[in-house]
Amino acid sequence: MGSKTVDKALTMLRTLPRVSLKNIRDNPGSKMTQKRGRGQHGGDYHGAGNKGSGQRQNYMRLGYETGNRPFYLRFGFEPYYERHHLRRQYPPVSLLQLQTMVDTDRIDISKPIDLTTICNTGLYRIFPDQHQFGINLTDEGADTFQAKVNIEVQWASELVVAAVERAGGVITTAYYDMHSLQCMINPTKFFERGIPIPRRMIPPTDAAEYYADPSKRGYLADPEKVSEERLVLSQKYGYNLPVIEKDPDYEMLTERKDPRQIFFGLNPGWVVNLKDKVILKPLDEELLQYYNS
Amino acid sequence: MLAFKKLSCTLNKYIYTACKRNISFYDSPFLVDHENTKIKFETSTSPEEWKYVERVLPPAVVPTPIPKNNYPSKWKPQGDNLKDRPYFIARTKNHMLPVYLCISQRGIRRITKIKNIQGDIWLLEKQLRDFIQPQDIRPIRSQVNEFAGYIRFHGDYVNAIKYWLMKRNV
Repeated sequence: MGSKTVDKALTMLRTLPRVSLKNIRDNPGSKMTQKRGRGQHGGDYHGAGNKGSGQRQNYMRLGYETGNRPFYLRFGFEPYYERHHLRRQYPPVSLLQLQTMVDTDRIDISKPIDLTTICNTGLYRIFPDQHQFGINLTDEGADTFQAKVNIEVQWASELVVAAVERAGGVITTAYYDMHSLQCMINPTKFFERGIPIPRRMIPPTDAAEYYADPSKRGYLADPEKVSEERLVLSQKYGYNLPVIEKDPDYEMLTERKDPRQIFFGLNPGWVVNLKDKVILKPLDEELLQYYNS
Repeated sequence: MLAFKKLSCTLNKYIYTACKRNISFYDSPFLVDHENTKIKFETSTSPEEWKYVERVLPPAVVPTPIPKNNYPSKWKPQGDNLKDRPYFIARTKNHMLPVYLCISQRGIRRITKIKNIQGDIWLLEKQLRDFIQPQDIRPIRSQVNEFAGYIRFHGDYVNAIKYWLMKRNV
């Protein structure tokens, strides 16, 4: 009986095909079939996790450190950067740079120097829309500064004032509002726009004190007091103050802008036509009153 | 019905072209010449006043420096008799020495680059190296590119090299 079964099995084996790649398969139940989860990401927890405040979405308030004194209350309030985005910036030019510009004839010192002159060298740029309000003349090269200049900057330290005045020059600090600065940084472009030269605005209240201070050589200060301060500063720093009245360039050194004026010799309200080389001046009473006020 | 559809379509088109939305800057009209303006004005062609306009206009080219007796800023113009020198360093268009500091790798790597070198660049490199070496304990690393005419020194030696070149007036 047994041998018969074996024979049968062997005969069946002879007729069956050989085991090859095309007829083998995995054992039944050895592979897990993919389950289709419900929901967006296959039925997971959507990043909220399992248990706790994450799952229940009852988060602690911001900054709470489960009973510690929170970091934001540990130290006193020190507002160093308060209103920093509104503060006026003055990109620097050093006295050494100024002297180099004079030595390389980028600046003509036989005429008064202002922001326009320095921007016209192409070696200095400001962006009034980024709250940059003009030049801060810094004291690097103050010992070697020798140019006799009539310079108008927007910010200057006491040492810088002394260095300029020791060399026989004159320094003024003057305020320009954003629109005036936009005209000054590229006068060609401004004239090509064909609009009248705006009048210069008076400084804001927080800057008015600086620009009316004779010791800062402010443009709104009393000229008598300025000349007095010149003497005081020369005695403080110990140099002989050159007498401007006896200087051959007296006219150049005493040339000043009107507090409403942006360019030397060009009044607010005028329109400059570069193509025809003509200046248009308003005659209307109302306009004249506006521009002269 | 079809006729009505056609009519509405043309009407739509008409409305679309008529209602131009002035969103773009380029949609705004150009400044036109107002010939009969009511504002009274006078024209001035006085050359005295035009001088003030010319004063604020920038020069078209970089001015050539006029020779002077002394230069307080320690800048000097390029020397005249440079024919017998073994090398020549051309000034930039701003009449400055072409010595630059190249900062890279977030401010970590500082490389001094001297450009516009003509002539015996290897001799210049040797002389500069001998001048810089006493200032640093570490050996000076440098690269000479004879074809492009530049030398690069590893480290910030800009002021030292400018001083050396200005003193030689090469």
